[in-house]
Parts: sequence; structure tokens; C-alpha cells
Amino acid sequence: MRTLLFIAACLAATLASLSCDPVHDSAVDALGAEAPGVSKGPKHRPGQPCITCHDGSLGSPQHFSVAGTIFLNQEDLTPANGATVTLISADNNTAQAVTNSAGNFYVTPQQFTPAYPMKVTVDYTGRVRAKMTSHVGRDGSCADCHTDPAGPTSAGHVFVPVDGVTP
Amino acid sequence: MSGRFFTRARALGLFVASTALVASSVNACNVPATDGRVVETAPDRATFAPVSALLERRCGSLDCHGQASRNLRLYGNEGLRLAQEGDASRPSSTVNTTDAEVTENYLSVVGLEPELMSQVVREGASNPLRLTLMRKPLGIENHKGGTLFQAGDSQVVCVTSWLAGHTDAVTCGQ
Repeated sequence: MRTLLFIAACLAATLASLSCDPVHDSAVDALGAEAPGVSKGPKHRPGQPCITCHDGSLGSPQHFSVAGTIFLNQEDLTPANGATVTLISADNNTAQAVTNSAGNFYVTPQQFTPAYPMKVTVDYTGRVRAKMTSHVGRDGSCADCHTDPAGPTSAGHVFVPVDGVTP
Repeated sequence: MSGRFFTRARALGLFVASTALVASSVNACNVPATDGRVVETAPDRATFAPVSALLERRCGSLDCHGQASRNLRLYGNEGLRLAQEGDASRPSSTVNTTDAEVTENYLSVVGLEPELMSQVVREGASNPLRLTLMRKPLGIENHKGGTLFQAGDSQVVCVTSWLAGHTDAVTCGQ
């Protein structure tokens, strides 16, 4: 009887933890459905704040510590395939990730957990290097700040400056 | 019997209502000043710009205090911009931090804990740790952005010098 009660309590706690944050739930809902023809995986949802879902909470997909999308230019959302993203932690640890054909990259906590503030540079095709002007203060999702359209609250999506413009 | 009861009840109700009316009118005389600010001894705005530059750089990224929804909202070239009609201010744009943005940062800082800020300024900044502004970046109080200042470092010297009335602009720029 005591064992059954214990199991019931654990089950109740698990269920409660799965849906106990309405703010998180609404943030996930706000991202909308998957794009047509794109299934869940490394190439889905380019330009969205990855860690909204990949946050390591119970039931979430794979946990990312830093993740985002690099685009080729400021004007449209052509992905930068094969860009190398270098992350420099405040404790001088570094990590690198290469973007896929959707422009997405991600790093897991096992690979790299940054101490903030973190610096970021992006190299593309060996001839373009973009250094993020400011540091990242605490948020591992690029797209939490880099939202479109560019305006007073955002520099817009992350892009490599193939035309000489700093992202 | 019941008529007398209702008379007493009505009298009691009138007494309660009139007491509440008097109390509310007395309260109405004690409303805060219409400008809503209670800083009595504010630190100097004229010498705040180097301190603002430090706070913008260390605290004002878009994922921290460069967010419109956050306490101690900070504007600046590398973070949140103060939107002006038709201007081209963008985070990390070529438009440098404006004087209006420095003023907004000043108001954020002095408005955070105005009474304590007044006290610290009156004391000549002998105990700046009264301020959350100092305790959080020093890691003395829980801070989601972590520990950003170390006791005695140039950042602490910068902010403290401003609170003491003699901003050390050189140290602020380090």
C-alpha cells in the first residue's frame, strides 16, 4: 500500500511538472506549427528561439546550451550553410559549431556550457568573419534577441556580412 | 421592535459610511507628488554619461537589462534603442548612444531605490552596498545575470565615484 502511494505521488509530481508553467507553454505555442514539408530535426524552425523548447525541462527535446540560425544577408532568409560559429565563454572556454543547410547550429551542455557574458564570431567560406558587436548576457537562443524586423529592440536576424555590413 | 432594529442598523451604516468618507478624504490629501518621483538627493546627471556607458556595456545587452520589460531598463548603442519617430537607431548601428538615452538610463538607475539612493548619496557613498544596483552585480544578492563586478574593481570604483559626487571617468572607461 505504501509503495502504491509512493508511485502515485511520483506520477502526480511528474504530471504536474509537465504542465506547470503556463508562460513557457504560451511561448511554445506562439512559435506555431512546423513549416509544411519540414519534419522535426536539425533543420526545422530556422530563425526561431531554439531553447524555448530545447531547454532541458522534463519531456523537452534534446537540450541545447547555445543554438540559432545564421542567414546569408540582411534582406532575406537565405540560410548560410557551412558557417562556423565560434563561442567564447567568459572563462575563456570556446566551442565551435557549423551550420547545416537550414543555417541552424546547436551546442549541447555536454559539449559546452558558457559562462556569461559570451562573445560570438561567425566565419563563412574562410573569407568572411563577423564578430558580434555586443556580448551575449545570458540567453543561449540567438533568436530571442535577433528578431525580425530590425528596429529599436532588435538588430534583426543574424547574417554574415557578405556585403560588408556587420550583423 | 423590528422598526427600532432597522433604525439602529441605518444609524450604524451611516456612521460607517461617513467615517470611510472622512478617512478617504484625509488619504486624498496625502497622495504622492504628481511627478511620481521621490528622489530627494539624486546623484549628478551631468556626470552620469561615463557610468551610463559602463552599464550599457556590462548590463544592457538585449537579453539582459536592454529589454523593455525588465527592471533597470537600459538603452544604448549595443542594446535597446529609444525609439524616435522616423530615426534609424538600431542595436549596434552607427547611431551612438544619444543624450536622451543616457537620461533614460539615469532615470532607471536613480528610480530603482530612490530613498536608499538618497541615503547613499547623503552619506558620500560610504556604504554603496545599500543599493541593489551594487549588490546584484557583485553577487551578494541573487542575480540571474551572474556576478559581473568584483569588489574594488574599476566598475565598482566607477559607480561609487559617481554616487560620491566625483565621477572617475577614466576608470569608468577601462
